[in-house]
Amino acid sequence: MISLRNVDKSFSKQPVIQSVTLSIEQGEIHGIIGASGAGKSTLLRLMNLLERPDAGIVEFDGTDLTILPKQKLRQIRQEMGMIFQDFNLVGNKTVEQNVAVSLELAGVKKHERTDRIQECLRFVGLESFARKYPTELSGGQKQRVAIARAIANRPRVLLCDEPTSSLDPSTTSEILRVLQDINQTLGVTIVLVSHEMQVIQSICNRVTIMADGRIEATVATEPAGITEITSDAGWFLTQLVERRDSHA
Amino acid sequence: MPDIVLEYASEIRLAIGQTFVMVGISILAAVLVGLPLGTWLYLSRKGQLLSNRFVFSSLNLLVNTIRSFPFLLLVVFLIPFTRIIIGTAIGTAAATVPLAVIAIAHYSRLVEQSLLEVPKGVIEAAVSMGASTREVVLKFLFVEARSGLVLGLTTSIVSFISYSTIMGVVGGGGIGDFAVRYGYQQFQTELMLYMILIMVILVQLIQFAGTTVARLLDKR
Repeated sequence: MISLRNVDKSFSKQPVIQSVTLSIEQGEIHGIIGASGAGKSTLLRLMNLLERPDAGIVEFDGTDLTILPKQKLRQIRQEMGMIFQDFNLVGNKTVEQNVAVSLELAGVKKHERTDRIQECLRFVGLESFARKYPTELSGGQKQRVAIARAIANRPRVLLCDEPTSSLDPSTTSEILRVLQDINQTLGVTIVLVSHEMQVIQSICNRVTIMADGRIEATVATEPAGITEITSDAGWFLTQLVERRDSHA
Repeated sequence: MPDIVLEYASEIRLAIGQTFVMVGISILAAVLVGLPLGTWLYLSRKGQLLSNRFVFSSLNLLVNTIRSFPFLLLVVFLIPFTRIIIGTAIGTAAATVPLAVIAIAHYSRLVEQSLLEVPKGVIEAAVSMGASTREVVLKFLFVEARSGLVLGLTTSIVSFISYSTIMGVVGGGGIGDFAVRYGYQQFQTELMLYMILIMVILVQLIQFAGTTVARLLDKR
């Protein structure tokens, strides 16, 4: 579905991605893991051409994105949703306006927009938050708004750039469950960049390991399932006490 | 109303009217030209959507140059240009030309600064959704920066009022000119003080309105 061939990318003469070849298959949840600075986020951003490669080809469904005229590229980007670590919602727009703007950009008519916004917010469990502003939401809720915004145009791929890295463990599992749901019920291919092993292990079918701008390996994995983590005081206490006792 | 103010009531009304014309044209120029210019200045910066070193340096130099003129000298310097546009360099209409020029330069810099406050991630999200540069500006940048844009305009308007007071040098009139000619030069200090009072009230009102609007617009 997405394929990168011999892609290079440097930032001010510093190579960040070096001759990377990778293909993302239809319907999978593909994890990309690596240390900070390994180039995972850049690799993801090359997939929708947020970063232009210095050399090599980026293909989406057989179309080389690097040679597309701007107008065409913008259309293709609407088939690829994207979410970020910092959510990147528009603070001066309500939850529903944030989702609406993505539909507006795709030229969806106003009466169709209202229904679709409702549908997307229901999917992420935030239909009662439509009129709220992002500042009134928790981190997990903000990320779910970002997800609703990203899936509004029925994309075929969802690119996730460290989507849980600024969330606590229980919110992380909540978001992972939403992502898995998007993959299973909507059939959306997911590319998930994270530096957290647990996150990658829980839902990915295939994982690419990166180091120093290169791909070390790509392996098939069995999703381990999303661990039930609670962040209440009792759980923290048991964890700490058990740990101390096992060392005694 | 104090007698001295009543005595000059019609002159004062005329002066206030002239100030409103000069400041009004300045605001118009700031919004219609300064806003797009400031946006372009921002967009042409390194790493931004229309990044272009030549465009950025040129605009930056132009804005800096205009703003570095002592305003009185800018008025004099622009006289030939004003003649071409208005047909004369004297009068309220002619005074609006240098005022518009400084208004554009002044506000465009504040626009650029407000836009720089918008988190880069928001723009990135917009681009990832397939927004064109125009859509990024109208549907994301201006929405997110709107309270800063209003506060910047408020600051600019207060400066425009100050700039307008010296337009007497080219016969532009206005409250400042009236205060100097009737108050200062004719030794009617009281009259001058009343004019200053009018300006103080005007500035207070504008600042209050601007701050209130900016606060209501800010949902972040």
